[in-house]
Amino acid sequence: MKRTLVLIAVILLAAGAAGADETCQSPFLPKVTGQEDYIYVWTLGIKGVADGNDSLVTVDANPSSANYGKIVHRAPVRGQHEAHHAGFTDDRRQLWAGGLDSSLIFVFDVATDPARPRLVKTITTFVKDTGGLVGPHTFYALPGRMLISALSNSKDSGGRTGLAEYTNDGKFIRTISMPAEAPYGYDVRVNINLNRMLTSSFSGKKNYMRPVGELLKDAEAMKQFGDSVVVWDFHARKPLQILRVPGAPLELRWALLPNHHYAFTSTALTGQLVLIYRRDDGTWATKNIAEIGNTIPVDISIAPDDSKIYVNSYGDGTLRVYDVTNPHEGKLIQQMKLGEQANMVSTSWDGTRVYATSSLLSQWDKPGDHWLKGFAWEGGQLVSKFTTDFSGVGRAHIMNFGAKSFGPRAEGTPSRVAGRPAVR
Amino acid sequence: VIRGRRPALVLLLAVVIVGAPPVRAHDAPRLDDEFIKGVFSPSFVPPPPGSYELPVVAKVGSFVLRDTTGRRVSTSAVMSGKVAVVSFIYTACADRLGCPLASTALRELQTRLRDEGLGGEAVLLTISFDAARDTPAQLAKYASAFGADPALWRFMTAPDARVLDDLLRSYGQDRAPVYDERGRFTGRYRHVLKVFLVDRGGRIRNVYSTGFLVPQVVVNDIKTVLGP
Repeated sequence: MKRTLVLIAVILLAAGAAGADETCQSPFLPKVTGQEDYIYVWTLGIKGVADGNDSLVTVDANPSSANYGKIVHRAPVRGQHEAHHAGFTDDRRQLWAGGLDSSLIFVFDVATDPARPRLVKTITTFVKDTGGLVGPHTFYALPGRMLISALSNSKDSGGRTGLAEYTNDGKFIRTISMPAEAPYGYDVRVNINLNRMLTSSFSGKKNYMRPVGELLKDAEAMKQFGDSVVVWDFHARKPLQILRVPGAPLELRWALLPNHHYAFTSTALTGQLVLIYRRDDGTWATKNIAEIGNTIPVDISIAPDDSKIYVNSYGDGTLRVYDVTNPHEGKLIQQMKLGEQANMVSTSWDGTRVYATSSLLSQWDKPGDHWLKGFAWEGGQLVSKFTTDFSGVGRAHIMNFGAKSFGPRAEGTPSRVAGRPAVR
Repeated sequence: VIRGRRPALVLLLAVVIVGAPPVRAHDAPRLDDEFIKGVFSPSFVPPPPGSYELPVVAKVGSFVLRDTTGRRVSTSAVMSGKVAVVSFIYTACADRLGCPLASTALRELQTRLRDEGLGGEAVLLTISFDAARDTPAQLAKYASAFGADPALWRFMTAPDARVLDDLLRSYGQDRAPVYDERGRFTGRYRHVLKVFLVDRGGRIRNVYSTGFLVPQVVVNDIKTVLGP
């Protein structure tokens, strides 16, 4: 098994090698395979907190650093945009971060100085470019381009939406509409070995930008949530099959081992951990494999050997760990209260470290602290390593890992900055 | 599956012939057929040509480079009237799962293009991004090691760093030199392997990387770009 894992790591590394958690990153992206040095946290700006702007916050994540667990840099953008998800380009030189409210996309250079990301471009034409998509959500690297799933549309702010592609330098390529029978969008992930792409489904802007207390009392509005996962031919970008998964299936995580032809999702409104698997005839099916409960599960993360799924729940602020060694049966093996609420959870590529953040949506967040928490597996238990208080900068949302080795400096040489390429 | 061939042996032979530097053990896993099989025969049948769209990604420029005989040749002249499969490598690439693997895939693609009668409609163009060390003579050795047919598969190198930088920028190919602890250039580059499908109008229509640099996928894409 160990040899297989090493092989897989190498394959993915070489594949242009190897999502927000490292184990869900696009297969076209180089991975941080060892100790991550930084965690980039796309952070909601809050009026009265610092300058009030959304910002990309760098947390030092290297235990050998004097700043371990501390905020070492903050790159603000102008205004509040409903900071939500973010993702790297295929060369890991840029991090694209979206605003679900404004539909602006902020492009940060994370290669020139990996500790200090710098805003280099703002794409302000997403709605116009795409023919009316609103709420850019998942930013997923494809070779030479970015694939972006949206949540809504400019016509009625409902859930009918689609996918968009842009070049790495920010030029629009095309829009792909969600099928009429499954119009909602949320996450998008590709399994290149199978030429299959999965999309999941949430809700439109008129729901996600509405105070959650109001929304929950509006029975009609509560019907306007997605209930499907779509299986696509990735190369052709054509939908092949619509799987009914009631209750707003959110994050998608493909199993990583090559003979594991399945993925997982969780449903926010019905509290299920769901297996999405390929049947012998090549078609796809789903199965509820664990009852997470009425906790509003939000983000999930997969262990690099496909043995575990981590689930963070917004409702009860709890991290749950499921053994999915048998993917058809999820067994709860550990749970830990993180706070009043929790949202994102991210695993390191080697599976030994786990991070979590607090914030979900500006209109849905409960009163309370916002934080990033780091954990490590020690003696079969998840042990707390640090808590980073975000009260001075905003509310912590998605995490992406950074490493000094993706910067321009010499390997192991902190002072030298490479200039022109060594071509003489 | 690479029909009847032993890709690992071909690769090993190519590395020996070209004389690429030895690979460090920690970043050079044993290259076995299992991996090759995974790269070249993923578990799917590519969609039929013409059943999907390949929108324009970007327009690329023309650049005057040197071919394996040292002559100055423009990329537009090589690509004129043909669909081009453009790749960037350097012959000293120590990552056998990087450039050499891509070249192995292109070698297979060359065979398929001939088999499918597309030799007059398509061209493979491999460009070095190590202009200092990849002289025309060095590239000629590399081309020979991979069985390149000069009528179908051309190798070129940049005359200077400025042309190379402009070329890489035009395609969106990243490349960063790797230095050792003392700040000395190691001779290695960090890069994401990319292969570009360029139509007869000089427009990028697809970008491949290891994982779906599958010869039959590229053949179907070439047919899709050529049209009925």
